Amino acid sequence: MVELLLDPNIRLWVFLPIVIITFLVGIVRHYVSIILSSQKKIELLQVQDSQVMIRARLLRENGKYLPRQSFAMRRHWFNNEETGYFKTQKRTATSQNPMTDPGMMTDMLKGNVTNVLPMIVIGGWINWMFSGFLTTKVPFPLTIRFKPMLQRGVELTYLDASWVSSASWYFLNVFGLRTIYALVLGENNAADQSKIMQEQMSGAAMAMPPDPKAAFKAEWEALEITEHKWALATAESDLLNSSEE
Amino acid sequence: MEQLRQWRESNERKSEEIIEIWEKSLCNNIDKLANDKHLILEQVIYAALDCHMYRVATVCLLMLSNDFPGSLRVMKLKATLLEAKEKYDEALAVLDTIIKTDETNTGARKRRVAILKAQGLIPEAIKELVDYLKKFMSDVEGWQELCSLYLQVQDYSRAVYCAEELLIHQPHNHLHHQRLAEIRYTMGGLENMELAKTYYCHALKLNPENTRALLGLFLVTNNLLSQYKSSGNSAKRKETFRLCQWAQARTAQRTAKESAAPPLDQMMLNLAITD
Repeated sequence: MVELLLDPNIRLWVFLPIVIITFLVGIVRHYVSIILSSQKKIELLQVQDSQVMIRARLLRENGKYLPRQSFAMRRHWFNNEETGYFKTQKRTATSQNPMTDPGMMTDMLKGNVTNVLPMIVIGGWINWMFSGFLTTKVPFPLTIRFKPMLQRGVELTYLDASWVSSASWYFLNVFGLRTIYALVLGENNAADQSKIMQEQMSGAAMAMPPDPKAAFKAEWEALEITEHKWALATAESDLLNSSEE
Repeated sequence: MEQLRQWRESNERKSEEIIEIWEKSLCNNIDKLANDKHLILEQVIYAALDCHMYRVATVCLLMLSNDFPGSLRVMKLKATLLEAKEKYDEALAVLDTIIKTDETNTGARKRRVAILKAQGLIPEAIKELVDYLKKFMSDVEGWQELCSLYLQVQDYSRAVYCAEELLIHQPHNHLHHQRLAEIRYTMGGLENMELAKTYYCHALKLNPENTRALLGLFLVTNNLLSQYKSSGNSAKRKETFRLCQWAQARTAQRTAKESAAPPLDQMMLNLAITD
């Protein structure tokens, strides 16, 4: 079989432009998302709740360093039926529907504007502009199954699977430029599309804010069954023994 | 330049050195610094306030507020400047505006307490701090400050509560154990003494080099020995005696090492509470 030769013009006018365009779009996206990003306002009540939870958890974990009386006093403060913190603080369950919260709506809109929209527009444009070229060849043989992945837009049955088409080259760039962005823009940049894809996958589960009511109840239960075990009961003898050794 | 960044990151408070660097080199070409400019200005302001050079601080603050009008961080600096000049009421007013705009600004709330403390209004400071801790319960610094405030007004049982809170948050810090033991020792009474002994022992276990805890242990055991003697509890007395001996031996070792120190045992014996 005759070896396929690519026109050097393809390298100059297809291969490199795709790399540069994807890279520049990533950088522009980074700065646009910086401009659009709004500082999340935290509510005082939310902070208070989380700090209470931390304190209760620490009491469970490190309560063993306190004398029994002090431990019981603190637990009483959290858990007492009538006056305990977890019993008296009534938190309403946060609204389940993000559509009712206008702040959430604008956040979602901004996310779509910076992430999804350019991906569709640029992807479509590249597909239309540079369609039908073979751009490069991976230097190892691949099985026929890779054809739809690497040769999008070039449906040739007898073409070797290690050739890469222009549309596929664009997608390879989209996902492969992450380290370059990290190098240019620093860590935690917003240019990376693959991260956004992952977020969209797990977005539904993450968007739900934790419900303080349920969390309080769980912490109340955990604290209720915690037994106090005085960790320093043997401190004196430990000290003497350790020095004798 | 590099030096300043290092100090900033390690939270070192070399105020005089910072001011020196500022006056020597940075003062006239601050605009040439690109990214670090504002961070350095902030650092210099704090340093200048430390050295009571209000003119420098005011100049830097003006530069910052030109760049960031309406920034809460700059407002906090302004409040600090007013505070350093002892214009407490104005500083409080600025801090109140910060808190009103951002309810979760812990720094501003803590500065309010600090102002009250600086004015000598300890009970008010305590009240403010308790209010703060009701909202931000896992703030270790806050508990620590409340503990020392309670100690200032000699409210030992509440100080114990705060010290215990510190222990919960950082159970592996020997200084917290030592602090709790000291408060218990000061409170006196058999039960407190025994707890003090236990906490001193644990502090020593966490850090064998803690001389203060070692001497404290010695004092506590001495005190306990005399109490056991009067109540006739021989088993406990024996154990405490061993501990006392051990503490004494360790102290002797330590003093021998630092040979020049005066006979510390004798001094400690004089200090011991005997009744």
